[in-house]
Amino acid sequence: MPQSMLASMWMPSAEELSQLAPLFALVATIVALLLAAMFTNRNRNVAASIVTLGAIGTGLLAWKRLQSGAPSWAGFDPNGMGPMLISDTFSQFFIVLACVFMLVVTAMWWLGQKSDLPDSEVHRMDATEFFVLFVGSAFGMSLMVSTTNLLMIILAVEMASLPSYGITAFRKKNRVAAEASMKYVLFGAITSAIMIYGASLLYGYYQTLDLATIGMKIAADMQAGATTGTLFLSVAVFAFMVGIAFKVSAVPFHFWCPDVFQGASIEVTTWLSVASKAAGLGLMLRVLSVIICAPSAFPVEAFKYVSLAIAIMAALTCTVGNLAAYRQMNLKRLLAYSSIAHAGYMLMAVAILWSPTDAGIGAAHPAFSAIVSYIIVYLLMNAGAFFVVAMVYWSTGSESITAMNGLIRRSPMLAVCMAIILFSLVGMPPLGGFMAKFYLLMAVWKGGLYWLVVIAVLNTLISLYYYARIVRAMILTDDGLPEISAPMSGQLIVAMCTIGIILTGVLLGPMKEIANNNASNLYAVVKSDVAPRTASAAGPSAATPNTENADTAPTIP
Amino acid sequence: MDASLVLNLVIFGPLLGMVLVLIAPAEMAKRITWLTSFVVFLLSLTLFPTFLDGSAFDGGYGENMQAVTQMDWINVVGLKIQYHIGLDGLSFALIILTTLVMWLAAWTSWNFNTWKVNKGAKGYFALFLLLETGILGTFASIDFFLFYIFWELMLLPMYFLIGVWGGAKKEYAAIKFFIYTLAGSVLMLVALLAMYYSSADAMNTSTGTFDLITYATNKAIQQNFNDPNHMFLGWNFGKVMFIFLFIGFMIKVPLFPFHTWLPLAHVEAPTPISMILAGVLLKLGAYGFLRVCYPIFPAAATELAFLVATLGVVNIIYGAFCCLAQTDFKRLVAYSSISHMGYVVLGIAVMTTTGFQGAMFQILAHGISSPMCFFLVGVIYDRAHHREINRFGGLWLQMPKYGSLATLGFFASLGLPGLCGFIGEAWVLLGTFNANKVHESMTWAPGMAVVAAFGVVLTAAYILWMIQRVYLGTERKEYAGFPDVTAREAAILVPFAVLAIFMGVMPGYTFQLMNGTIDQVLTLIKPMTAMAFGG
Repeated sequence: MPQSMLASMWMPSAEELSQLAPLFALVATIVALLLAAMFTNRNRNVAASIVTLGAIGTGLLAWKRLQSGAPSWAGFDPNGMGPMLISDTFSQFFIVLACVFMLVVTAMWWLGQKSDLPDSEVHRMDATEFFVLFVGSAFGMSLMVSTTNLLMIILAVEMASLPSYGITAFRKKNRVAAEASMKYVLFGAITSAIMIYGASLLYGYYQTLDLATIGMKIAADMQAGATTGTLFLSVAVFAFMVGIAFKVSAVPFHFWCPDVFQGASIEVTTWLSVASKAAGLGLMLRVLSVIICAPSAFPVEAFKYVSLAIAIMAALTCTVGNLAAYRQMNLKRLLAYSSIAHAGYMLMAVAILWSPTDAGIGAAHPAFSAIVSYIIVYLLMNAGAFFVVAMVYWSTGSESITAMNGLIRRSPMLAVCMAIILFSLVGMPPLGGFMAKFYLLMAVWKGGLYWLVVIAVLNTLISLYYYARIVRAMILTDDGLPEISAPMSGQLIVAMCTIGIILTGVLLGPMKEIANNNASNLYAVVKSDVAPRTASAAGPSAATPNTENADTAPTIP
Repeated sequence: MDASLVLNLVIFGPLLGMVLVLIAPAEMAKRITWLTSFVVFLLSLTLFPTFLDGSAFDGGYGENMQAVTQMDWINVVGLKIQYHIGLDGLSFALIILTTLVMWLAAWTSWNFNTWKVNKGAKGYFALFLLLETGILGTFASIDFFLFYIFWELMLLPMYFLIGVWGGAKKEYAAIKFFIYTLAGSVLMLVALLAMYYSSADAMNTSTGTFDLITYATNKAIQQNFNDPNHMFLGWNFGKVMFIFLFIGFMIKVPLFPFHTWLPLAHVEAPTPISMILAGVLLKLGAYGFLRVCYPIFPAAATELAFLVATLGVVNIIYGAFCCLAQTDFKRLVAYSSISHMGYVVLGIAVMTTTGFQGAMFQILAHGISSPMCFFLVGVIYDRAHHREINRFGGLWLQMPKYGSLATLGFFASLGLPGLCGFIGEAWVLLGTFNANKVHESMTWAPGMAVVAAFGVVLTAAYILWMIQRVYLGTERKEYAGFPDVTAREAAILVPFAVLAIFMGVMPGYTFQLMNGTIDQVLTLIKPMTAMAFGG
């Protein structure tokens, strides 16, 4: 028996393993961190260096795979039940983004520990723990974009969430941080439970963990003319999406977000504001690309409701985010609401992706592409904005809007960059924020959800006021606060983000091309109708679709 | 030099100047700005020849644009945006007006150091030049997307120019201006998307177009846009888009009831910025009507003509009454802008040759007279440090040269025959009065003209009353030692004065610059308007 078990066990080849190199590199970074702590007496500079090297290494590995035109679908399929892990250009692209952002956050940590605020005390003492958790969440997020297996998705989401709870509470003696972390844990637990419930419904009914197979079975049902089961399918899919909605802080699963952003130290806030959302959206796109690939040929009644639900969620998310930002005086909290609003814009395109109408299917490619563009620009904008807030905070010890007063005199460079970043967040041309939003609105319009476009542009108008409040504090008000001593390297990062924002707005080609390529890679799978994975069998270990199973799928009661 | 190169230099020259301003020491800023705007003005003058000999007006609308640059900005699957600029009779005169007003406004900023808020000279002049690029780019854009980008590009500098260097309520004025204009822009953005995809449907291609000329001249697109059965969310597509665009532009004009940002912004803005606002920025709204709304949605324009004309007349009368009630000198001039822009809208609304010509002429005339009036107010404000009309008196006696130029400027604004304001108003009123002969269903037009004509009387009333209170009457002691206009001030006023007289006495030269294109537009939209009228 053991003999036959061993034989049936799947052993990946070296070539296959090499495709997972970026993920291994992240794990190696964690191990190196723990080992180094033992031998260097928990030296914080060593720890930070390891993370920096790890991020660069992982990023390069992923970049190399991205450049080498990695197959669009390279799955790891141990037992013919569908791939557990996927390594394709899409996942590599997100890993590269995550690594760039890890570097930004590490730079922020490096600069922040020099200030004499209570936060940096913690940073100095427990750097190793901080970084282990930090890289751990990055690893979880990388996993999130590298799988289509229900079980792996849940594991990846938890892998990303659990360390995040920890680093949120890292300001140990801070009550706000503790409360924030508690809220984060509770919300995370509940939404995970709902997500697992949705996953178990899907598994129980379709008897597979592989989302692509589920998609094919749905298609087969549709082909066979099954019209019942709409309610079941919409509930299952929507419950599953709740877990992801929590990650991107969509209303009504957003309550953790402002508290966590305010409570956590600024490095963590920066990290969560972008990485967590990007990973959530990446996962959403991944799930969509496989689960709707097959049924895209058939109007699945259930997806109409899912699409509508997500459209309403998106509309609520950006409206609530923008309106709530009005009253905020704490910059981190304000930016938290702003990030909720931006998640809402991105969800609008997700609603298009679920839409089973002709218009919606026609707009799938632009919608994919638009979300990827938006994530790129959003990363630049948030990195820049949080870095400015961080530098003001280190210098003044305050996170209030009033700390920004007269910034144009106190640090002209930061003020000008921040103003550009904020107007990009509003969506003013000719900045990147506008172009990203424009692509998004184009996709939504093409998908036929006109009312959603109207809500988006109205929200742009609403958002102007609170972003302009910061601009007003920086440039129009001055109450004689002392000058800011902003570190040069920090200023450089802010300047680079700003230049990136301007370039993405003026040179439209490159960003759109990256986004389109990413979308095409995913979309190639989406478009191949009934047998999604045969179309991409070019991948080294792509599975052959299990058509018998699909045919004998039980009809929905 | 090649005309298209000149146009590119004109648009982006100020941007180069801005870079110079940012690099050079602060005390150089105003000199660089002056020089940049002057060079840009001179460059723009070299574009004249083809418009003077009429060769720019051969063929139909958009067939013979001048100084064209056309290249792909982005061309990927499903999206094509072009960098497409060029000039015709609608935009050319406005480009010249802009470069002139910007140059003179830069000169007006010469005494920046004496302002109440005189910090950040670099910032001020850099934003000033950025604004110039935005305005010129908007006038020259043929691609609607490009138009939108430039349109929005103007917003940011203006926000800061009012918000930082303005008067007491500057912050409120700046954000109000910003929010109002952005509200218009987002409506325009919706229309932009809708027009793009509808044009793709109409042409049966996967990629639509943003080209404003193609929108107006392509038969399939015109059919699609003006089809009464083309529905959008249950309403007529053409009408909805026309209204979206119209609201976007009317906020800029500004038309009642979206005019409230204007008096505030004007009063709080520093003098040169008020000059730009009144002289150029308001014109963008009217230009938008002429370039976007009317040639592209003629059916909707015809159906909504009564509404638009009414808005124009309300502006004329309401603005004039508001002027009568003002005690603040600058506020009075601001409200007079509202009143004068009413004529422009009325002239456009009736869609007759005379009406369009009058509207275009009024745009230019107001572009000359209103900056002059704002400058005149600025001159006296620099000396008296208040703007209460009732506290002035007898200024002509104390400052004879200033008094003479001021009277000329205000008479031009009043519409005195022989000065620029008269021609525009007269043409608009004539065009409106006769409109029922051109379009049978416009039976209301003569009545509209009669009501609008009362505006002329009201204008005379508020201007003459103001002149009486400020410049006539007995000398007042508190203004005794006021110096007359300086050489710099005179140099700014004289070009305005000369143009006001020139355009008033020999309007033909001005008409010559635009009539050709106006005819082309009217010929183009004639079938559609005739259809919409059921004729």
